[in-house]
Amino acid sequence: MNDDQRLIADTTERMLEAHCTNQLIDQAEKGVYPTKLWELLESNGLTSLGADTSLGGGGGSFGDALVVLRQAGRFAVPLPLAETLVATQVLGECGIQVQKGAALVVGAEPGSSGDSLTWTARAAAFGRHCETVYFFDEQSPDQLHRFSQAEITRTEGEDLAGCARDDLRVKAVDAEIEVIKAGSFDLARLKLFGAATRAVMMAGALEAALEATVGYALERKQFGKPIGKFQAIQQQLAVFSTQVAASTRAAETLMVSEELLEIDVAIAKARIGEAAGIGAEIAHQVFGAIGYTKEHGLNHLTRRLWVWRDEYGHEGFWQAHLGHLLLANSNASLWHQVTELG
Amino acid sequence: MFQGMNFAPAKLPGELEALRHEVRDFLSAERDWQPNSDFNAGASPEFSQRFAAKGWIGMTWPKAYGGAEKTFLERYVVTEELLAAGAPVGCHWIADRQSGPLLLKFGTEEQKQRFLPPIIAGESFYSIGMSEPDTGSDLASIRTSAEKVDGGWRLNGSKIWTSNAHLNHYMVTLVRTAPPSDNRHAGMSQFIVPIDAEGVTVRGIENLAGEQDFNQIFFDDVFIADDQVVGEPGNGWAQVMSELAYERSGPERFLSAFRVLAEFGKSLTLDSSEEMIRLYGRLSAHLVVLRRMSISVASLLESGVMPDTEAALIKELGNSYERLVPEMVRLHLPGEVPKALADALQECILHAPSFTLRGGTREILRGMIARGLGLR
Ligand SMILES: Cc1cc2nc3c(=O)[nH]c(=O)nc-3n(C[C@H](O)[C@H](O)[C@H](O)COP(=O)(O)OP(=O)(O)OC[C@H]3O[C@@H](n4cnc5c(N)ncnc54)[C@H](O)[C@@H]3O)c2cc1C
Repeated sequence: MNDDQRLIADTTERMLEAHCTNQLIDQAEKGVYPTKLWELLESNGLTSLGADTSLGGGGGSFGDALVVLRQAGRFAVPLPLAETLVATQVLGECGIQVQKGAALVVGAEPGSSGDSLTWTARAAAFGRHCETVYFFDEQSPDQLHRFSQAEITRTEGEDLAGCARDDLRVKAVDAEIEVIKAGSFDLARLKLFGAATRAVMMAGALEAALEATVGYALERKQFGKPIGKFQAIQQQLAVFSTQVAASTRAAETLMVSEELLEIDVAIAKARIGEAAGIGAEIAHQVFGAIGYTKEHGLNHLTRRLWVWRDEYGHEGFWQAHLGHLLLANSNASLWHQVTELG
Repeated sequence: MFQGMNFAPAKLPGELEALRHEVRDFLSAERDWQPNSDFNAGASPEFSQRFAAKGWIGMTWPKAYGGAEKTFLERYVVTEELLAAGAPVGCHWIADRQSGPLLLKFGTEEQKQRFLPPIIAGESFYSIGMSEPDTGSDLASIRTSAEKVDGGWRLNGSKIWTSNAHLNHYMVTLVRTAPPSDNRHAGMSQFIVPIDAEGVTVRGIENLAGEQDFNQIFFDDVFIADDQVVGEPGNGWAQVMSELAYERSGPERFLSAFRVLAEFGKSLTLDSSEEMIRLYGRLSAHLVVLRRMSISVASLLESGVMPDTEAALIKELGNSYERLVPEMVRLHLPGEVPKALADALQECILHAPSFTLRGGTREILRGMIARGLGLR
């Protein structure tokens, strides 16, 4: 990470440490949206990194946005931060002005109802909380349609971390249709951005879960000593930390790259997705029954790990995708491809 | 975050690509071996000599002793190319990785001038003498000992699992030179023992794959002159510990099964089954990330940091990966298995048990990592 990124990481960390408490996350799950936390992050420019200032963005790169999101993962932030940062990136690349407030770019299926056109997006992350929603028409992908929340009909749902995943539907007759040229942008690229956000968020959550688990192992006593003194527990935590180290390395590649490479995203989502399951399992084993409660904060991290590893393609999808990318490059041996990746 | 988790992104400098190509050209002209990416599995004194002629043994060492004063990252490129090509590196591997650097750090000027140039010339090969019949993971429990005599030491005892001692010239041997005391790590020294010295007997041991790669060595009143003691007598433990990061973080800790993956990849096309392609992608993702972690550590070493916990972490993760590769590939074979893939798989399965033993067992490494986490 460069100095700017270190500064971004520190700023984000300080803010989240002070304000993104377990209580806030619990409340958010009960429906109390943490507006104040959003405003704090927004006013510090952390929600608009990655688009040029001339377009209303905060400057910086998508890598900088990923630095913020890794911290968001560590603190299980219950806000559409990834969604907004991806939207900012997409708008920036398309040369479109970035709006204030939370935003979402999502692929939507076109259809019709009576004699009106419709678009439907399924299980859109934080759908109800995003003030501006951009539908990417899956049939004519060079077009973005901008809608405000008021123009959208929702069927609300939740993911297994208790975060909003809403079906969003727009009927053309009810909305003022604003069509924006999306240039060369396409859905595959949107998925790539999405996968990158989930990869770094998982890396952050894994780090935090390891920290919490090691801390607990040193505190919790059984048989007259901290459970962390038992070799069986030490060995488990060592395995956990190897997974965290690999995840961190894979995530940081995405943050420091000048350009987001498809193959690096595939590697990161495949590798970190695998680590997520292993890490969550060990964390829960070491925490015993207390970790299996809603009351204890561990679940905020592990439930998100289980969500994020499946979003924008689970590890199996990206493993296969990587396999295809490697095989498609049939002129170069595996070793040559590996060394070229650096 | 924890200590010992520093894997900040680092890249090999672009200008090393010329060196990489030079190594590749050399290796493709040389290739007459049965490729095996396990650094322990092939040894050829002739190959090591021709390799040395390129200036690639001791390449980071001072010019005063015949080295080329190259960076540790340049050495990284050379060694990973050797392993990926499955070259028979067994003869010079230990001298280049471990014994030479040990002498550079702790040896006397006279020792450096005497022992380093022949290593660089590919004429002098080294083994490691640490394990004993009753001493494995608990290295401080060694019993091989020496008593002071006029002008040197009289050595008695036995070492075991000594890789390639039957092909090599010297073994750097950890010896008790003072009786055990309350400080278990005190009273040990490292000797440079010529394997052909009087009183040294080498007994070959066949490994599970039917190869002779390691040996038992017996010392029977072997005289070791004072000028063959490395560093200060009594400093042996600290010296052994000082090289662990080099020993554990290199590409040999995750490339042992590379032939299997490479041959598996060659047997696939875009029309292969989705399960096969997915496995290929999965194992490749692990490989790329491990290599990146290892390069991060190599950069730390280049800058003079000794990342012991990071190194243990790479070895543990890399060895587990090496064990995973053959186990997964055997479940995803194509209908007609190409001979090269079948051979690589068979070799790998026979060597795999050693991956998580040699150089510190899985359990011992996990213990070191746990220490880094503050649990011990
Ligand atoms: C191919 C190969 C090449 C080798 N080459 C060399 C060489 O060149 N020179 C040399 O000196 N040695 C060499 N070795 C020896 C190697 O260093 C030892 O095998 C290793 O240190 C383990 O010792 P051991 O085999 O005696 O097993 P032990 O130490 O007896 O261990 C047996 C089992 O008990 C476990 N165990 C031991 N202590 C603990 C503990 N405290 N907590 C939990 N579990 C524990 C181990 O992890 C292992 O699973 C080689 C080994 C192999 C397989």
